[in-house]
Formats: sequence, structure tokens, C-alpha cells
Amino acid sequence: MAKIIVVTSGKGGVGKTTSAAAIATGLALRGNKTVVIDFDVGLRNLDLIMGCERRVVYDLVNVIQGEAGLNQALIRDKRVDNLHILPASQTRDKDALTSEGVEKVLDTLGKDFDYILCDSPAGIERGAQLAMYYADEAIVVTNPEVSSVRDSDRILGLLASKTRRAERGEDPVKEHLLITRYNATRVDHGDMLNLEDIREILAIDLIGLIPESEAVLRASNQGVPVTHDDNSDAGQAYMDTVSRLLGEEVPLRFHELQKKSLLSRMFGGGRR
Amino acid sequence: MSLKVDRADMAFTFKGGMLPMTVMELASADPERIREQLSGKLSQSPAFFQHTPVVLSVEKLDEPHLALERICAVCRTHKLLPVAVRGGADPVKQSAWALGLGWFPPSDGARARALEEVPPVETATLGASEPAASGGRIYRGTVRSGQQVSAPDGDLVVIGAVNAGAEVLAAGSIHVYGALRGRALAGIHGDTEAGIFCRELHAELLSVAGNYKRLEDIDPHLLGSSVQVALRDAQLGITSLA
Repeated sequence: MAKIIVVTSGKGGVGKTTSAAAIATGLALRGNKTVVIDFDVGLRNLDLIMGCERRVVYDLVNVIQGEAGLNQALIRDKRVDNLHILPASQTRDKDALTSEGVEKVLDTLGKDFDYILCDSPAGIERGAQLAMYYADEAIVVTNPEVSSVRDSDRILGLLASKTRRAERGEDPVKEHLLITRYNATRVDHGDMLNLEDIREILAIDLIGLIPESEAVLRASNQGVPVTHDDNSDAGQAYMDTVSRLLGEEVPLRFHELQKKSLLSRMFGGGRR
Repeated sequence: MSLKVDRADMAFTFKGGMLPMTVMELASADPERIREQLSGKLSQSPAFFQHTPVVLSVEKLDEPHLALERICAVCRTHKLLPVAVRGGADPVKQSAWALGLGWFPPSDGARARALEEVPPVETATLGASEPAASGGRIYRGTVRSGQQVSAPDGDLVVIGAVNAGAEVLAAGSIHVYGALRGRALAGIHGDTEAGIFCRELHAELLSVAGNYKRLEDIDPHLLGSSVQVALRDAQLGITSLA
């Protein structure tokens, strides 16, 4: 049976889709048969980030409404063998998703795949609730700012009450914190919340920290998940995250200020 | 004759005032139906029914004659004190006056909003909560934004933090073994002896028996420290526990 992981945040624009694409790619690169599903019906983006927007024929809503088979809608990734994408519909809205339909799709995919990643829409309404409902694990994407942290807190509350696991009284959804757009310099200046503050407020395990990086923007616009850019800090940080998701212990990187070189220390004149 | 009157000579002065008043908007004139609904409400929130003055609004009713006396009697047995009637035809006005109640003309429309239309709140189902012997409650875990945890019959103990946007309520005292960043309302049924205790104060709102302080009103020196909150001379006092 596949492990179902929802990538969620509450707040929009924090990097859910980027993270879902990058982590799905990483899981597949590590040899796991992985499918990533776009739940953002009406605001489809995952296909762009994955670079498969020109190959979309059928989508999740078509499958749920019986207009297409699952295999017709699944798009095989060009770069990684084990990776598939199930796109969202751009012309419909979230009401086109039914709980039974989503369950059936997940059950069917569960027989073939090791990992199912659900890329949640922003907000706490129907789309977001359906994306998380059947999850076994959740990756809560948070930026180092107060509004994002508060929205993540709200989502954590919903994960604990509005999921199948919660309603059936089973083991709770395993929650992981993924901090994105972390800028150690701005944290040091006090413009952003620091890692410890976020961990203290949200009180869940940290699965990864992605530094703010030009590579992410470039990757999104080129439609190549940043995990493929293994020279970039963000690409490496996502690969670390994937390793932790697979149960490995990997030390945390990119959260401390880069040490200044000897020369800049000599001529910088600062205290540090 | 001088217009200047010594204040001490006056038995009273008239003053205009805006008092908050609960309006009871009647959708039925049947005293029995009103009685049934009131009995239900009384058991839900006894604190509300303490000889609370109410204005009976009959605007929504299209009946020229009302059993006003019986309706008032039902209200009084449930510790509501009708002080006036609003709206209704001339016979209603006359019978209000006959009962010693005031009469107000109908309100100009949509101004009055329904007090009871509170949006539904998700009560935290996760968890780790157990009833304590005292009728209080112990909650283990973080109370997250949007969640509400209450102990309607006693003290509430939270072993964890109460995050911003969360709300904890108790008939008695509230103890938070962690950071209190959300809203804490102790003594919700009017217990003025109740208190609030926390390890780290960042609360959005503190309230004991309806006397409250917002984050803005709290002395910034106390923020982040462990404190107790208690009512002294109808004022909320916050003192450091360290």
C-alpha cells in the first residue's frame, strides 16, 4: 500500500507546489515509484512546475467524474522513470471533487505506487480538506514569517481533527515541518522569524529547511524541479529532506550565516 | 430668580445614555414555545440568565394581540427581566404600558444583528484530554490557532502551549504549562476568584469573570515571563510568578 503524503500550508505562495514537485522528484530519483497529484482545481500549477503542461489531456476531475481512466490522465515524467503526475482541471472548481471520487483514485493508485503526494491548494476550504483527508503523513510548508506560521498552526489543528485517521481514531497523521525561503542573513537582522521560534510555536518535527534561492525561481520558470539542480543549495536541501522522509538521519544545513572569509573579517571592521 | 441651582439641592439629573441591551427578537408569540427554548438556553449558559434586562421585540410578529403578560412571566421565571417592548400595533403598546413596561417604536431595519449568530468553532477533538476529579479538565498538547478548548464546569489545565488564534475557557481557573499566545477566559460563569496562570505570557486577551485586558493593555515588561492573573477591585492584575 502506498504512503499518502499531503503537502499543505494554509497560506498561499509559500512554496507548496514547488516543494511537492521537488520532493516527488527526489523520492523517484531514490528509486520509489511516486505519483504527485494536483488538488488545486481551477488554479492548476503543478504541471508548469513539472514541465509537462503541454502533455495534459485528461485530469483529476475527468477521472473522478468517469470521463477518463486513471491511466489516460496520468502523465509520465520525462526525466525520471518512476515519477507520474496527475494534473488538476483548470476549467472546473473545487466542488467538482467528491470525497468518494478522491478515495477511489487514491485506492487505485495505492496498488501501483510507493508514494502518493497530494499538492494541496491554499486555504482551509473544501479543496484543502479533501487533499489532506486521506493522508498518512503531512508536510506543512512554512515561511519564516508570522502570518505563515499562524496559518500552518491552523492547518495542524485541522490535520488533527478533519482527517480520516482522526475521525476513525487511528494513529494521527504524522506531521512534518518544512521551512522554505529561509534567509539566514535576514533572520540574523531580525527581519524574519528564526528557526527556533518557528519550531517552538508549531511544536512538530522539522523535516527540512530550504534556503531562499535563485535556483528555485529559475527551476519554476523552466519547469524543471529544483531537485535536478544538484549544484544548488535548494536542490541539495530538498534531497536532504527526501532522505529524512525515507528515515535517514541527515544533519541540518543552510540555516546558519555563512562564515565570513578571513579577508572580509580583516577588512570588514565589524565585531564578528 | 436665579437659574443657578445648587447641585446639592437637586434630587436627580436626567442624562442621556446608551446602555448595552439584549433584544429578544420573538419569532413566535406562543409562550410555551418560548418557555421550551429558554429552558434549553438556561442549561447551556446559566451565566447569561442573571436577571438580565431584555427588550422584547415583536417586530417580526404579525399579530395585533399578544399574550404579553404570559410571555413576560415566562421570561421572569427564567431570570430574564423584560423592561420594554419594541414594535407592534397599538394594542401591543397599550398592554405594554399596562404591564409597566416601556414601548419603543420599531427599529429602522437591519441595524440589529443577531447576537447568537456566532460562527461555528472547531473544538479540538485531538486528544489528549481527560476529565479531572474536580469537574475540570486536563488537556495535553498544543492548542492551535482556530481551536477552542473549554472546561465548562471547573479548572482547565493545558500541558502545552496555547497558540495565537486559539481560545481556552474555563468556569474556574486556567493553568497553561507553556506559552500562552491566544485568548484565555477564566471564570466564564462569573467566578471572580478564578485566575489565569501561565509559563510565558504573550496572550491576545486575558479575561476573568468578564473583566478583560488585551495584549495592548498588558505591561510590556511582563511579556514573556511567567505570571498570574487575578481580579482585584474589578481590575485585572497581572503579577510575575518568578
